[in-house]
Amino acid sequence: MLMCCLLCSLVHMVWAGEATAQSTAAKIDFTRDVQPIFAKHCYTCHGERKQKAGLRLDRRPDALLSKLFVVGKSAESRLIRLVSGTDPENRMPPDGQMLLAKDIETLRAWIDQGAKWPAPEGDHWSLRRLSLPAIPATKDVQHPIDAFIRTKLSEKGLSHSAPADRRTLIRRLTFNLHGLPPTPAEIESFVRDDSPKAYEQLVERLLASPRYGERWARHWMDIAHFAETHGHDQDVIRENAWPYRDYLIRAFNADLPYARFVQDQIAGDVLNSGDASAIAALGFLAAGPWDESSQSSIRDDTIDKKQAQYIDRDDMITTVFTAIASTSIHCARCHDHKFDPISQKEYYGLQAVFAGVERANRSYEADPALAKIRGELLAKKADILAGKFDLAAERAKLDEWEKQIAGRLTRWKTLNVVVSAKDSKIEPQTDGSFRFAGKRPDKDVYSFKATTGRIVTAIRLEVLSDPSLPMGGPGRQDNGNLHLSEIRVKLSDGTIIPITSAAADFNQDGWGIARAIDGNPATAWGIHPAVGKMHEAVFILKQPIPANATFTVELDQLHGAGHLIGRARLSVSSDANPAVSVNPLPTEVVEILAIAPEKRNEAQSKTLIQHRLLIDVEARLAVLPIPQMVYAAASDFATIGSFKAPKGPRVVHMLIRGDITKPGETANAGTIACVQGPGPLIIANPTDEGQRRAAIARWLTDRENGLVWRSIVNRVWHHHFGRGIMNTPNDFGRMGATPTHPELLDWLAVWFRDRGGSLKDLHRLIVTSETYRQSSAHNADYTKIDSDNAYLWRMNRTRLDAESVRDAVLAASGKLDSTMHGPSSRQFALSPGIHVTPKVEYEKFDFDSPASRRRSVYRFVFRTLPDPFYEALDCPDASQFTPVRASSVTALQALAMMNDRFTVRYAEHFAKRVEATSQDCLRQIGFAYEEALGRSPTELETKRLADFAERHGLANACRLLFNCNEFLFVD
Amino acid sequence: MNRREALFSLANGFGGLALAHLFATDAVAEAGKSGMHHPAKAKRVIQLFMNGGASQMDTFDYKPELFSRDGQKFDPGAGVHVEAVTSVPGNVLKPPFPFKQHGQCGRWVSSVFPQIANHVDDIAFLMSVKSKTNVHGPASYLMNTGFTLPGFPCMGAWMSYGLGRITDNLPTFVVLPDPKGLPYNAQGNFSSGFLPVLHQGTIIRPTNPTPIADLHPPESAKYITPKSEDDGRIVLEQMNREHATIHPGDSRLDARISAYELAAKMQLAAPEALDLRRETKAVHTLYGIDDPTTATFGRQCLTARRMLERGVRFVQVWSGAGGASNNWDNHTNIKKELPAIAGSVDRPIAALLSDLKQRGLLEDTLVVWSTEFGRHPFSQGADGRDHNGGTSVQWLAGAGIKGGVAHGESDLWSWRGNKSNDVHDVHATILHLLGIDHEQLTFRHNGSNRRLTDVHGHVVKAILS
Repeated sequence: MLMCCLLCSLVHMVWAGEATAQSTAAKIDFTRDVQPIFAKHCYTCHGERKQKAGLRLDRRPDALLSKLFVVGKSAESRLIRLVSGTDPENRMPPDGQMLLAKDIETLRAWIDQGAKWPAPEGDHWSLRRLSLPAIPATKDVQHPIDAFIRTKLSEKGLSHSAPADRRTLIRRLTFNLHGLPPTPAEIESFVRDDSPKAYEQLVERLLASPRYGERWARHWMDIAHFAETHGHDQDVIRENAWPYRDYLIRAFNADLPYARFVQDQIAGDVLNSGDASAIAALGFLAAGPWDESSQSSIRDDTIDKKQAQYIDRDDMITTVFTAIASTSIHCARCHDHKFDPISQKEYYGLQAVFAGVERANRSYEADPALAKIRGELLAKKADILAGKFDLAAERAKLDEWEKQIAGRLTRWKTLNVVVSAKDSKIEPQTDGSFRFAGKRPDKDVYSFKATTGRIVTAIRLEVLSDPSLPMGGPGRQDNGNLHLSEIRVKLSDGTIIPITSAAADFNQDGWGIARAIDGNPATAWGIHPAVGKMHEAVFILKQPIPANATFTVELDQLHGAGHLIGRARLSVSSDANPAVSVNPLPTEVVEILAIAPEKRNEAQSKTLIQHRLLIDVEARLAVLPIPQMVYAAASDFATIGSFKAPKGPRVVHMLIRGDITKPGETANAGTIACVQGPGPLIIANPTDEGQRRAAIARWLTDRENGLVWRSIVNRVWHHHFGRGIMNTPNDFGRMGATPTHPELLDWLAVWFRDRGGSLKDLHRLIVTSETYRQSSAHNADYTKIDSDNAYLWRMNRTRLDAESVRDAVLAASGKLDSTMHGPSSRQFALSPGIHVTPKVEYEKFDFDSPASRRRSVYRFVFRTLPDPFYEALDCPDASQFTPVRASSVTALQALAMMNDRFTVRYAEHFAKRVEATSQDCLRQIGFAYEEALGRSPTELETKRLADFAERHGLANACRLLFNCNEFLFVD
Repeated sequence: MNRREALFSLANGFGGLALAHLFATDAVAEAGKSGMHHPAKAKRVIQLFMNGGASQMDTFDYKPELFSRDGQKFDPGAGVHVEAVTSVPGNVLKPPFPFKQHGQCGRWVSSVFPQIANHVDDIAFLMSVKSKTNVHGPASYLMNTGFTLPGFPCMGAWMSYGLGRITDNLPTFVVLPDPKGLPYNAQGNFSSGFLPVLHQGTIIRPTNPTPIADLHPPESAKYITPKSEDDGRIVLEQMNREHATIHPGDSRLDARISAYELAAKMQLAAPEALDLRRETKAVHTLYGIDDPTTATFGRQCLTARRMLERGVRFVQVWSGAGGASNNWDNHTNIKKELPAIAGSVDRPIAALLSDLKQRGLLEDTLVVWSTEFGRHPFSQGADGRDHNGGTSVQWLAGAGIKGGVAHGESDLWSWRGNKSNDVHDVHATILHLLGIDHEQLTFRHNGSNRRLTDVHGHVVKAILS
């Protein structure tokens, strides 16, 4: 026994010795290598929530006090004995999976290398308070940005490149601020402008143009992952998503202060309730994908439905924290963040902040004049409902109204019937209706047999909702729907009474009521998606059924898959000319109207007058243009399937390991504590969901929230230089990049914040620097020192993104339509799909239609059915956040640029435009170069392309210009 | 930052390696053999995806208990909650098909797969693969990308990213959707997510007038002729070369010049690869192309085989469009719906296995049969079954796979797993056979080192040869 143990430990020692020798070669980084091991195996019991044996391993001071390790001596450290199972008293973790050998070796090496533990939490540079660094004193440098950049360059043995020439500058600046090329006239005028302020004037002109907002809104749409369909398997079109895009364009053009811009998008309805456009801004929270199947189509009481709610909120808070705070909050959903000081508890605190909203359509008033009129009418309606009206004056108008309405009303009487069905069980209800129950057959036929003492001219079928039915009915299909294939009215001798016409209060798309009387059993009336409420249909008979005749109404429901009526009531009318419409008035009012005026009592008269006034005010409201709808965060909306408004914040549980089947303690609305400065969330009334959002909006835009101010200036910098000072714009955490110029970043953040958060001021500052205005030319020596140009010894050459490529093609062809705002242009043919997602065919789109000519920012983006042309040029489908666009080079991209119907068609337009300028082929080529590339061709270039055009047509030549690198890259 | 990420950051920036990913280089070919992390058994993969949730207990997961308890209340034990996502759980529903044992291994297969049943000795079955959800969208995302959410790279994209290309002439990752329509999640299932678009699945619709988007110019442009294309390429190259000469030190400019050469090669190679007339009558008959029942899927499988032969790394073939019928989502009537869809793939899949084997391709080609989840042992309505994320059957055959084995086990009713694998295990195993350690194939996105297998996954060693 002893021998055996000795042998074991010898073997162990030898092995351990080798491994240590190996791992000491690799430098251990606590955050990258050690903390994940602690997080995985230790924090459950020795972390923020529990401190078994008084031990806490998630904070440096506690861990250092624990005496678990002897710095520099792993062999003497108890930690290693515990985790490797060599401690005589205990082993860790006590149950569950032991640490892998390689993890133990990592811990060993970490201790041997000095157990370096980074600065206390909250002290990561991006979490610190902002302070204004001094601008480095540099000889002959005026511009603060240049002072910072030059100082760093000279430290590295680098210097700025020569200034770019004016032709390059105007092309760079115009693409940068507008996403469009400058026109040849604009280029000429700038090149020839000898004013010392020519460049500054150019900057002002470009910033004042509405094209600026269109370009920079597009960047924000990438960050917000905005698209106009749900994504997922039911990729439904969001008809009202576009007002958010228009909000962005207007906000950028108006240079809305950044704090206001952020607040609008998170809680504009609360913080800026006087401004209706702030509601459109809430499209931000709803911009991402939404799982319609799990949220609306499946049953309400399932685990999948609950899971979907958490996942959906995860997207909301991730959107907010990624876009605005450059923080990877989503990494703390299943466990404490492995690298940044964010606990799982804090994560669920943020889930609670957004627990009162979902994504839905909400209305807002885009036109203030209209808002006033509507407000007055609504006030009047409220008065009428409250009984505040002049009874005497209104009584006088009643007679005439009664005459008007008489023709439109049908009087109904519920029928006493005997009901039978082929395969369903029948349960009579007290209100004269019948419920159909039992094992649900695929198909069925219900029969209602009756005899009545009056003639029958029309029949009404009411299908009623019922809590026992799927989705509340009125159908028995799992989605609450029904399909009435045919309705038949039969006398006892078998004579069929034909139905001449029918009307229903609601018709499913493609399943109208006419299909229940068309004699075709393959078609039917349906009511999806308006389930969970009653519906009615009226049927007009060709000839009356005589009084006292026995007749049967048969309801064929032959579609299959259980599309059956769940609860129904039949009524009949004896009116001579029954209206082919469902009654516009409630039954109560119809009944009063049936009483002779002199026999009505006072209350009945008042009810009539009230309804007359209501009809009048409703009619006036109905003719007003409906308020604009926006797909946005909303706390109240109409139920769709099993998707219901939260009506107050939902209860959020902390999910253990992120598992929906393991709900832990209830989460209280809160935020992360690691950011120094803004303090905790202050919520005046946490039961009011709007207050929760308002609190987080204020917290994010707090002057002291350094994370947020650093995040935005870095994003702007990124879009000017093609690379951020911090090269991971969505992640300012410990695993993010290291900023190349941290002092400059802080200086810019403070400067920007203290000038009121004007983005246009920030653009002005950046583009007037020498750093921005230098040439992009190659320098072999400097490349050896800094191949990535991280220190900006030259300007970066950037490839145009998909939208700019397309807009530049449109501009050259002379076909660009600069109409702003409104519903997006759908550059595809749309038809119904097999299931919920429609069919989208890009190859069938008509490129001569107006929709093809608007700027790409107005293009409709379909998440799961992306346009192959844009895709080839790295345009994201908005399923994920895109802080940085890729610029890949592929064969499929070359094919798209050469062959896509768009480039080919617009090369033809371009050629026509070129042809119109001159008879001379050489001049034509000169014009084409100016338009496409912003310069005149050399003699050789002119001759070569003219030759080609002569042989293969000018359109073919124009197509080549769109494909050359010079067209696609900006120096 | 790992080596691959470094390559991309440079390719996206200004360094010298943009070309590295454009071509099938010797280094890539070498890596293909030796694997990224260990020697590879499989060089290429074909995945047959049964869209809608193929019913496991009506096909491969034989449960005598269901026959004896048919029509009884489904009762998995006191206090055990039973639910279904689109319906009220019904009574136990027995499979309406007889089961028989097949092959040396004696594997039970129902009568809906008579031809595949002849190949069970080449197949390793995962008898209980569980999903995290019971809903098509998230479940299809999970099966394709390892996450239930949109925007993550699918398996084919990860393979392309990890292993690069075998051929210059065709895309690395090809998708053949069911001609009836795209699956649930549409193209979201083939997305490269946050990986560069280079790794996106290229959709091929062999019977369409334009089988690959933008492969050829539109026919309306009569002035674009083979001669104009040849001349145009020369002129474009001259223009781009001159531009590159005065803008030195930027490999992206050279890479774009090369991309046009590759595009031209693809224009020649793709039509040849898609031309099934080049196959013999016997091959057409083998795949069932002369029988209307099997013609569609047979054509897809044969096209896939031609793609694999020509150096495509990963082909995904879909059976069934997203929608209420004509797929594997048999809510209404298992007895009628399942044989119809199963009959359309049975012969073509059997043919593919025989054909790959006969050509020696099965040695280094992995065949994977997948679906997003299983179905319930109790009825929906009278004769249908609702979605069941609790257990499903998936199978693998070919390169590195031990034939005739089964791993994992569902419970008495095939409702949930007794001994289950999760989707990540399937992914980890496939990557393992390709020479990739699934924990080491990563890409940094939005603050996380993302993997195909999220933070899970174990290689299922029991099914490896």
